[in-house]
Amino acid sequence: MRASWPRIATVARREFLATVRRKAFVFTVVGTPAYFAFVMWISTTGEMKERAEVLKELSTVGVVDSSGLFSDASLEIRTEVSSESGSMFARKAPSGLVPATLFRTKVRVFGDHANGEAALRSREISQLVVVSADYLESGHVRRYARTSSLFSSADKRAIASWLANGLVRGRVDSLLAARVSRPAELEQLYTLGKSGRFELKDDRREMLDFMLPFMFAMLLGVSIVLGGQYLLQGVAEEKESRILESLLCTVSAEELMAGKLFGLGAAGLLVVAIWVGIGAVFVGPILVLAGVTLPAGLLAIALAYFLLGYLFYGSLMTGIGAVTNNMREAQQFAVWFTFLNFVPFIMITFLLGRPNSPLAVGLSLFPPTAAGAMMLRLTAPSSVVPLWQVAASLALLAAAGWGALMASARIFRIGLLLYGKTPSLPEILRWARQG
Amino acid sequence: MLDVRDVLKSYDGRAVVNRVTFEVAPGEIFALLGPNGAGKTTLIRMITDILRPDAGTIRLDGRAVADRARNEIAYLPEERGLYRRSKTIETLAYYGELKGLSARDARRSAMTLLERVELRDWALKPIQALSKGMQQKVQLCTVLIGDPRLLILDEPFTGLDPLNVQMFETLLSERRAAGATVLLSTHQMNKVEELCDRALMINRGHMVLYGAVRDIRRRYSDHAVVLRTASRLGAVPGVRSIVAGNGEATLTLEGSTTPQSVLRALLDHGVEVESFALASPPLEDIFVKVVREGLGLDHGQSGPPTVEPVAAIAGAR
Repeated sequence: MRASWPRIATVARREFLATVRRKAFVFTVVGTPAYFAFVMWISTTGEMKERAEVLKELSTVGVVDSSGLFSDASLEIRTEVSSESGSMFARKAPSGLVPATLFRTKVRVFGDHANGEAALRSREISQLVVVSADYLESGHVRRYARTSSLFSSADKRAIASWLANGLVRGRVDSLLAARVSRPAELEQLYTLGKSGRFELKDDRREMLDFMLPFMFAMLLGVSIVLGGQYLLQGVAEEKESRILESLLCTVSAEELMAGKLFGLGAAGLLVVAIWVGIGAVFVGPILVLAGVTLPAGLLAIALAYFLLGYLFYGSLMTGIGAVTNNMREAQQFAVWFTFLNFVPFIMITFLLGRPNSPLAVGLSLFPPTAAGAMMLRLTAPSSVVPLWQVAASLALLAAAGWGALMASARIFRIGLLLYGKTPSLPEILRWARQG
Repeated sequence: MLDVRDVLKSYDGRAVVNRVTFEVAPGEIFALLGPNGAGKTTLIRMITDILRPDAGTIRLDGRAVADRARNEIAYLPEERGLYRRSKTIETLAYYGELKGLSARDARRSAMTLLERVELRDWALKPIQALSKGMQQKVQLCTVLIGDPRLLILDEPFTGLDPLNVQMFETLLSERRAAGATVLLSTHQMNKVEELCDRALMINRGHMVLYGAVRDIRRRYSDHAVVLRTASRLGAVPGVRSIVAGNGEATLTLEGSTTPQSVLRALLDHGVEVESFALASPPLEDIFVKVVREGLGLDHGQSGPPTVEPVAAIAGAR
């Protein structure tokens, strides 16, 4: 019997509708971005809050100055913190763009260590700084605190600034003293852009340079895995509920598999489309203001990676669903392949930092990691990926996807009717070869 | 209608279906019998083109089953299930669409079938809300939708109460009257005797019985007659033994005696005969006997078990 497109379309429509009507689908669509937004909010606001808390608690610093270098130093440390400057994504935001909070820390001088320590123990002071007699030569400073924060060194930076200021106070004018304490506060960094010219690295842009490839590649990876998971779930459930044999009388294994690939791939794509839509509403205006545009070529390449990546992972997941007996067993096998898809994200710092290194090139050519790795490389700042590498990566992924489809179709046909026994690897390989 | 010729299927060098040949005529209810592991399911899977035979041909109306239209055969497997979360009507309509009906026709046919099996009120409920018996009826409907010409039913009566069995049988009769053919695989021999015209029995992949159910039963009869009478029976010439009870007596005849001569002798002796018939054993006894004979081959003999009855009956209609 020849494959019938109407039957494939019927299977695809049923799979799509059955998936998108589930509560779990709605939960995925709404819950996943909400979860990520919550985690990011917690991590960024947590860091800012922690920094403010550290400076707030640093109300009085005791100083034991054995060097005598700080006798004329100011008895107050003033630290300005903008509400954005604590964010990991805008650490270098230009000052003045956002309102700053001023934290004032009193400096109390002690004649010896013992008195200073007693004051620290009795909570009269927040921290004690002991400057050694040979500080100028050795740089030895001891700092005592009842506790220290794991996540912020704002107190250390405030005290370091006071020390720098104290060293030059009275010797140079106040403007110079202030500059010495913060010598590179308004540094402008120029890097070689994709146009081949050195471009000013904008802090907000820098955030986007990191976030955009990350989000883009992540969306791609998640959509591929999502479609694959739907396939795995669909096949495993059908096998578990013993529905397949009656279906296979009416629809061939190949038609069933093709229908599932189309229908569940569409469901995965729908999730991503909704996420992109939500992102466009909330993040779009920021991107427009920052002058960030996604080139059409990049979107076309992303679509090609999605289709081929989904073909590869979807076929593998279908094969796994067919040879296992239930969802739990299927998940145990599938997790290894899912992990491979996310390897580029584990190595994101490396891939964005060294996008043209041999390892980065290798990961973007290796089919299981190609989609994520190549998208990260393509969107990484200062990265120019040769066209042949994109073409080779897509060609290899297409070949691997086709191979996986053919092997899985054979495994699917046999595995669907196998109940109660999980075949051994040699058996699966034999099916994949012979059908 | 269905023509299975010399079909062979092996796994790991062991033939699970070994050169099986049979025909099923249009409008016939045909029984496929055999003990567990005999190769029935493999044979059915080859007829439905889920599996391909290693050798031999399977044709439906002269065309290879692989080339048939998919709506021509419907299969109710023994191990069966449904999409538990889908609505009843959607599940049925899905099967209808797969068999080539338009979405509207599939839905309409689904509703008609649900009405027929008294499940109209459950049309919009998810399958998981239905009782096991109700799900059985929906499974039956998945086979009937699209009016397939060959229905293959594997243990269709399992889990059904007597009322639903009756409903099922009525539906089958209606389909048969409309020209559909039924291939019934079951271990309920009373249903085979009741419903089926002909039967094929396989054991360990080999054909062991094939022919009209009536002929098979006659062939396995013990040269005996069953007599219903109110009279007291004495010695009857040519009769080896008489077993009586409940107004009925089974008379085992001597080798040279014919039933006609016994009837004549009874009437001559003034016995009031209410009914007189050749004794034929129930199919279940034949099944057990044939399978046991087949199993006995394990101890010293090899080759297909009990081939003689097949040779004698093969081709008979």
